[in-house]
Amino acid sequence: MRKKIAMLLFGVMLATSLLAGCGEKTQPTTSEESGELIGDITFWHSFTQGPRLETIQKVADQFMKDNPKVNITIETFSWADFYTKWTTGLASGNVPDMSTTLPGQVVEMMDAEAIIPLDDVIDDIGRDKFSEKALGEGEKDGECYSVPLYSHAQVMWYRKDLLEAAGLEVPTTWAEFAEAAKALTKDGIYGCSFPSGASDMMATRFLNFYVRSAGESLLNDDLTANLTSDAAIEGIKYWVDIYNNCSPKDSVNYVTLDQADLYYKGKTAFDFNSGFQISGVQENSPDLLDYIDCAPLPKLNEDDPNYGAETSNIPIVVWKNSEHPEICKEFMKKLYGEDTYVEFLSATPVGMLPSISGISDLESYQSNEIVQKFSNAEKVISEAVELGTALGFDDHGPSVQAGMLTSQGVIEKMFQQIITNGKDVEKAARDAEDELNKLFESVQ
Amino acid sequence: MGKRKGIIGNGLCHIYLIILSVIAFFPLLWVLLSSVKSSGELTSNPTKFLPEKFTLENFIHVINDLKFVDNIGNSLLIAFSVTIIAIIISSMAAYGIVRFFPRIGNVMSKALVTMYLFPPILLAIPYSFIMARLGLTNTRIGLVIVYLSFSVPYAVWMLVGFFKTVPIGIEEAAKVDGANKVQVFIKVVLPLVVSGIVATAIYTFINAWNEFLYALILINSTDLMTVSVKLRSLQGAEILNWGDMMAASTLVVVPSVIFFTIIQNKISGGLSEGAVK
Amino acid sequence: MKTKTKNYARWVFVLPALIVVTVLLIYPIFSSVFYSMTTKHLIKPSYEFVGLANYIDVLSDANFYRAFFHSIVWTVASLIGQIFVGFTAALAINRVKHAKGIYKTLLIIPWAFPSIVIALSWKWILNGVSGFIPNLLVQLGICDQLPQFLSEGNIVFLTLIMINIWFGAPMIMVNVLSALQTIPQDQYEAAQIDGASHLQQFIHITVPHIKVVVGLLVVLRTIWVFNNFDIIYLITGGGPADLTTTVPIYAYQMGWGTKLLGKSSAVTVLLLLFLLLICIFYFWIIAKWEKEDK
Repeated sequence: MRKKIAMLLFGVMLATSLLAGCGEKTQPTTSEESGELIGDITFWHSFTQGPRLETIQKVADQFMKDNPKVNITIETFSWADFYTKWTTGLASGNVPDMSTTLPGQVVEMMDAEAIIPLDDVIDDIGRDKFSEKALGEGEKDGECYSVPLYSHAQVMWYRKDLLEAAGLEVPTTWAEFAEAAKALTKDGIYGCSFPSGASDMMATRFLNFYVRSAGESLLNDDLTANLTSDAAIEGIKYWVDIYNNCSPKDSVNYVTLDQADLYYKGKTAFDFNSGFQISGVQENSPDLLDYIDCAPLPKLNEDDPNYGAETSNIPIVVWKNSEHPEICKEFMKKLYGEDTYVEFLSATPVGMLPSISGISDLESYQSNEIVQKFSNAEKVISEAVELGTALGFDDHGPSVQAGMLTSQGVIEKMFQQIITNGKDVEKAARDAEDELNKLFESVQ
Repeated sequence: MGKRKGIIGNGLCHIYLIILSVIAFFPLLWVLLSSVKSSGELTSNPTKFLPEKFTLENFIHVINDLKFVDNIGNSLLIAFSVTIIAIIISSMAAYGIVRFFPRIGNVMSKALVTMYLFPPILLAIPYSFIMARLGLTNTRIGLVIVYLSFSVPYAVWMLVGFFKTVPIGIEEAAKVDGANKVQVFIKVVLPLVVSGIVATAIYTFINAWNEFLYALILINSTDLMTVSVKLRSLQGAEILNWGDMMAASTLVVVPSVIFFTIIQNKISGGLSEGAVK
Repeated sequence: MKTKTKNYARWVFVLPALIVVTVLLIYPIFSSVFYSMTTKHLIKPSYEFVGLANYIDVLSDANFYRAFFHSIVWTVASLIGQIFVGFTAALAINRVKHAKGIYKTLLIIPWAFPSIVIALSWKWILNGVSGFIPNLLVQLGICDQLPQFLSEGNIVFLTLIMINIWFGAPMIMVNVLSALQTIPQDQYEAAQIDGASHLQQFIHITVPHIKVVVGLLVVLRTIWVFNNFDIIYLITGGGPADLTTTVPIYAYQMGWGTKLLGKSSAVTVLLLLFLLLICIFYFWIIAKWEKEDK
């Protein structure tokens, strides 16, 4: 009897393992002779809604029409979910063929040997069209693993009408900014919201502005964290002050969207964001579109030069697991085709700036109403794009550490400790610095 | 005296129940009201109760552009499949335990509750590996299989209670008439525990319908998502639209509430009649 | 020969369930226990065996104890609240003569809410800028400033517990109510003739009749609440400042945030061990009650 049970169980196990084997089925590959593309690819991107989503889908549909044996499946995630998805996916062998990603995560992907070099694509599109700095963000051992799809940079957004009504100038220093933000916090309007939700990187971003304005970095030369420099400590105190005086108290839990939404709906006078602010306002409160504009980030002293804090060159990567990198690469080239590319960018005009040269002068690009209306904003942001880098890449180039500054929520939790538990700023900064360094060690 | 006290007690009970009812009902009411307000009205006048202008734009957006009905379909399909499979497997097992393994039955049903206490968060990682190996990540079948992990133990445990109520004499009689074990089970025993099976099925269905964590981890495609995950993805969308979220919530919760109202007498019997006996 | 077929048949009945349990529960548990003794990292292929090092790490982490403490508070407070509200509501419905059905229907509503809808609706109602309740409290003059139910350090955990009570009480109520209806009325009548007070009737007739049902409910709810991940994750994500981080949230952050799968597995295995202890304790009590009944 017992033997029979054992046999039965063995049989079940055998069946299970056979099933498991079936999972790793092979798919037909490209017939190399004819050069015809054959196969299915999955494309993950983070344009979860609206015109960007539709444009990408349109390009994919067209591509499938041109290559009838190709099937492109598009799946979308918010940026926060995307990180969870690819990390879990990598562990279980379930990643897409190609995806968009954030510059800070490219390094992690390269480190995990999860993505492949794309130099051939870059050469086909034209290497000299890309900014060297942007390509450098995905470079390892002389090979480029990521291709920037569009660029944007963080600048200061304000409400012209509110400043005017209060008789205030557009602030250029942090001191002026704080003063203006405090003055404008009244009648249900908040001067500036300070977001520090731990599942996002907003507080790190805001702190980085301040630290960069002092010419410092959140990373030391040996790539350990630096939250205890004078600039960092001052910056932490600065933002806690803004939180206490100008911000809705819930903002301690805010992530990107909660933060931007307040500005979209006219509830905050100032905000920090890229040109995405425009389409957000347009969508939520079109009446306010005439009253918004942006300026360079505030400086520490009046006569400091303009500085760059955070530029994001949002890249596309191709995953090593992909059975059809050739299809991914062809599809990428399609995306950069002049007409397609302009159409894609115009989905959020001024929000997405071209990552390749020769686009912004095109008639079709310039004819967009929003681009015309916000020509000043476009200029300000384009200059900021030139000056900045991805967060933490500033003085030391791409590193896993820079990625972890933004992906672990350590700095956000530090702010929460100070705001919610009244923890001493210096102690909180020291503890957070230690925690980051410990995390950095875990990836060495 | 006694009567007056009774009236006062009765009144107090009513007051208490009215307060509780308001608290219980308010979120549903607020979701409904918010879903028919325009997005401007939602933020500009937070305490205004009734919508200034009744609008269905949120629903139209959620149904047409976000294809939310597909996700409701997914959830229904998955929950129904899990329920049917789990009930078949569990009623067989429960009957088996009660009739053929009576001595270890008690231990077994305790072991089953123990299974129910495995933290889902503990199982999530192994499941993502198993499903990837089987090539079932991002499929509804994968999710159905995973849901059996919490449905089957719980259903067996509940059903064991119901099957214990079936007198063995009836089965003996049927056997004398020449019926075999399977026939006895299907023709004689099952009809006797139908109400228990219905109650168990409802519990299973609700748990599958509400599940969140596994669906979050295992499903990638927007069109395969269950309602829970899809609703959450609205929060991570590019525009924070409370109107959309409330409209989608309405589409999920109103049918649930109606369902609960209809079946409340069935579920109420569930635990007290079954598990205890 | 005959006994053999009999043996086969009886195994056929339980086999499918056995397979499910083995593949979906036993195997994952063993693999988790295995990972908990390695340096497994979510996105790195290679790992080493490190014995109990992860457990030692976790057990010497102050944050783990804080999360554990939060879990205990969360479970105990939610359960007491749910049982109190559920129980009293059931007694009240049992007592009133009119509108029983309406009350029952209204009070059962929260149970129909999936956790994501619980999260969205309460986040919206309590929203610190445009939420109904905060704005109402200001308009009524009860608060000067918009109260921040989900970010104010002192009240955020209480808010979560209240939401959990709101959600969980109906289930208790429904089950207690149906248990109450199984109590033979003549016992009460007999007691009244003997001159027993309401309280005495409650203690000597009601409680003994329903305590096993309630006991089982408590077991199930304890497990459910302790393991609950969705509600907290979806409403506060454990924040602010980890004030609402319970053990499941802590484990999730460890596994998906810092990607230290080995450590995360160690946390969940510890969680399981703790729940096992609790369960053994409960079953011991319920077994005692059942014996007393007989």
